[in-house]
Amino acid sequence: MRPADLRTELEPVWCSGCGDFGVLKGLTQALTDLEVAPEKLAVISGIGCSSRLAGYVKAYAFNSIHGRALPIATGLKLSRPEMTTVVVGGDGDGFSIGLGHIPHAVRRDTDLTYAVLDNGIYGLTKGQASPTTERDTKRGRGMAGAEDAPLDPVLLVLSSGCGFVARSHAGHLPHLRQMLREAIQYPGFAFVHVLAGCVTYQPKGYADGLLEHSFPVPETHDPTNLDQAMNLARDPRFALGLIYKRPRD
Amino acid sequence: MSTTAPGVTTHTPQTAATGRSLVIAVAGSGGDGVALLGDLLLSIAAHQGLYGMLVQSYGPQIRGGESAVVLRLSETEVAYEGDQTDLLVCFRTSDLKRFRGSMHLHEQSVLVLDSGDEGELPEWLGTTSREIMRYPFATRAAGVEVAGEPKNMMALALIAKALGWAPELAERALEERFAHRPHLLSADVKAYRAAWVQLQVPAMTRLTGHGLPLEVETGNEAVAHGALAAGLRFFAGYPITPSSEVMETLLDELPAAGGTVVQAEDEIAALGMVVGASFGGVPSMTATSGPGLSLMTEMMGLASMAEIPAVIVDCQRAGPATGMPSRTEQSDLFHAVYGGHGDFPRAVLGVFDVVHAHTLMYKAFALAEDYQLPVLVLSDAYVAQRRQIRGATPARSTVPRRWRWTSDDSPARFKLKGDQVVTPFRVPGTPGGTYLAAGIEHTEDGTPTSDTNMHQRMNERRFRKLPAIALDTADWVRTFGAADAPRGIIAWGSMYGLLREWVLAHPEYRVFLPEILLPFPLDALAAWRKGLSETVTLELSHQGQFHRYLSSLTDMSGVRSIARSGGLPMSAPELATLLSATLSSALSPTSAAAAEKEAS
Ligand SMILES: Cc1ncc(C[n+]2csc(CCOP(=O)(O)OP(=O)(O)O)c2C)c(N)n1
Ligand code: SF4
Repeated sequence: MRPADLRTELEPVWCSGCGDFGVLKGLTQALTDLEVAPEKLAVISGIGCSSRLAGYVKAYAFNSIHGRALPIATGLKLSRPEMTTVVVGGDGDGFSIGLGHIPHAVRRDTDLTYAVLDNGIYGLTKGQASPTTERDTKRGRGMAGAEDAPLDPVLLVLSSGCGFVARSHAGHLPHLRQMLREAIQYPGFAFVHVLAGCVTYQPKGYADGLLEHSFPVPETHDPTNLDQAMNLARDPRFALGLIYKRPRD
Repeated sequence: MSTTAPGVTTHTPQTAATGRSLVIAVAGSGGDGVALLGDLLLSIAAHQGLYGMLVQSYGPQIRGGESAVVLRLSETEVAYEGDQTDLLVCFRTSDLKRFRGSMHLHEQSVLVLDSGDEGELPEWLGTTSREIMRYPFATRAAGVEVAGEPKNMMALALIAKALGWAPELAERALEERFAHRPHLLSADVKAYRAAWVQLQVPAMTRLTGHGLPLEVETGNEAVAHGALAAGLRFFAGYPITPSSEVMETLLDELPAAGGTVVQAEDEIAALGMVVGASFGGVPSMTATSGPGLSLMTEMMGLASMAEIPAVIVDCQRAGPATGMPSRTEQSDLFHAVYGGHGDFPRAVLGVFDVVHAHTLMYKAFALAEDYQLPVLVLSDAYVAQRRQIRGATPARSTVPRRWRWTSDDSPARFKLKGDQVVTPFRVPGTPGGTYLAAGIEHTEDGTPTSDTNMHQRMNERRFRKLPAIALDTADWVRTFGAADAPRGIIAWGSMYGLLREWVLAHPEYRVFLPEILLPFPLDALAAWRKGLSETVTLELSHQGQFHRYLSSLTDMSGVRSIARSGGLPMSAPELATLLSATLSSALSPTSAAAAEKEAS
């Protein structure tokens, strides 16, 4: 099986250069590595540019409504435990309208992989501020929320008790592939924070800037140590790699 | 002479279906064990093959405040708690004020008060010509009530004796109930026995059960059990009065049947999980009340758009926002029938009572699974919270089964051509069946589209489900009364219990009750309306939602609306008053809807 075999015939509607392409690629690679057959794969998403991804993966896919992918995926996984279930969505979908579902999905620890494609903006609705938009972002029309402090997705899920937390970058394919693979293999709720660019509503060079602002998780980091994980997450730069993985008893 | 409660001008004689019946009310405060007493009496009755039902009322504080039960026992099946209290036991007259409308004395009522209670009886209660009986329920020290023997056990002895029940019956019921708490059991049995020996009680009408034990069930339990029998395997819900016991019952029983129950973080998630589980091919359901239904609305549209079966039970309570959580109303009809953005098909059913809940839940699952759409089941607080005695439920050897896709079927999940209303459902795990389910408008194979022509054609295809359902459900109605009775009442849901008795006492009336509200069984209604000279709709909704809804479907000119806000269920005396005001003068608007129309 090749990653291309996990693609549907649909042409992505994304702007060329959109970070979501990288995630589509990384995900199909990781799933191919794990030899997940299409009929055993479910990809559930909400609404947003990033949520369109569900339609591009050959799977029992569900492009649902804004912010509600997690409950839908939970219902599916609980009723069909044999399905490898991946949830994808944007930062608005996950951390704004759908935020209420995250800590509860974490608490239930259903075996889902939740990849948030965080481009720091509402792409589909044309560039409004999202909960992860940096405060000093130059304010364009419709950027009301950019005055508010951004929330940190990794700290949020760590403090909720998430057992698997990793971060990667949409342009950093081998790394993304590896993080997604480990997340899918993790037998509980796994969260992957994917830094992605939006070529249309973020300033030029935004995605590269994210990468420059990142650093690999140091080799000395013990991902089973929650204190170390929290400290890593508190670093103002983005630590890329496996941040926390709770040993399962 | 019995006086009449204010606002109620006629007292109709009690109307049991055919057998004799008795209405018993017990009023007290939180600690008096009134609810337990009611439960015990009902289960003792069921054990002897008597029928009956019990409704519980609370004061404004749900916990700890005043509490009362009204219990009707009968030789035949009943779904109406009656309106003439034959026996009222009241531990504290000051508690009565909360229960206005739930109890009415008549000429021969037996009224039992506490010996030390000097309080006044409220005027609305009415009076009896029999002497008031007094028993030392409360133990007092220096005029202040202190803990003593359990009052409810004294009352149990008193009532059981008055009904002519053998003394062991109540002891057996206590043993069953408190087998796991021996201390409590022996204290209760002791108090019961002592009271049995000491108390002199009036004899009351003897009811004879058929001797075969019957079941006691609440409306919420009946909904849960009906769903289980219909193949339910996944439930997600969020606690809300008056529906929570649906989830509680399923927590006890669904896992053992191989299913899953999740208490979700909110109702959006609850229906989301149901949609996800059903996307997985598993019969799924949620239960809620109005506030939860409001939150579920967007997800309801998704289930319809993505053609995923889902059963949604709404136990209606009174009012918008928080309203009156433990009170009943029929005012979620508009929301169920019309709620949500965009056009999408759904089916809406209405529960009559505990017995009906079993058959109706089966029908709900059959529609959802057959037609791949959301099916709303409207219950209400009156049905949900009552305890009702019932006979055996229908034995079923099969459950509704979704039509499953195989690789021989069409590659198009949402096939447009042909006269099929639905296409086979693709259950995850089936090789070759992968597809995109989407809330976005889509083409035959699920590809997102904003092609307006495709939207039109997909709407036409999705809405083909409704006439097909209407054909299947054309006879999903219940009618009562003589076919040539000149006066007609069209009602729905929990009005059932009152109306099936109403026609026995008032042969000039016949009644039409649809089991399905959407699509409405219009042909059955038209056939039933033939030969009527006067017709009313009857409902608990300030706006007259049912009347307005029917008026949008068929010619209702000449049909008067009797509609009032919910709270208390409709009683026979109130109905008599409303009907005489409505039908005697074509000019006096009695309904809120008519009044509103006139005002505007
Ligand atoms: C209930 C509801 N509110 C608002 C919207 C409009 N809406 C669609 S996508 C979106 C935000 C998209 O941003 P994000 O989730 O970050 O995804 P992106 O497009 O950036 O990938 C919004 C607000 C909607 N579809 N549904
Ligand atoms: S608007 Fe931004 S997020 Fe959306 S497709 Fe274009 S680049 Fe991607």
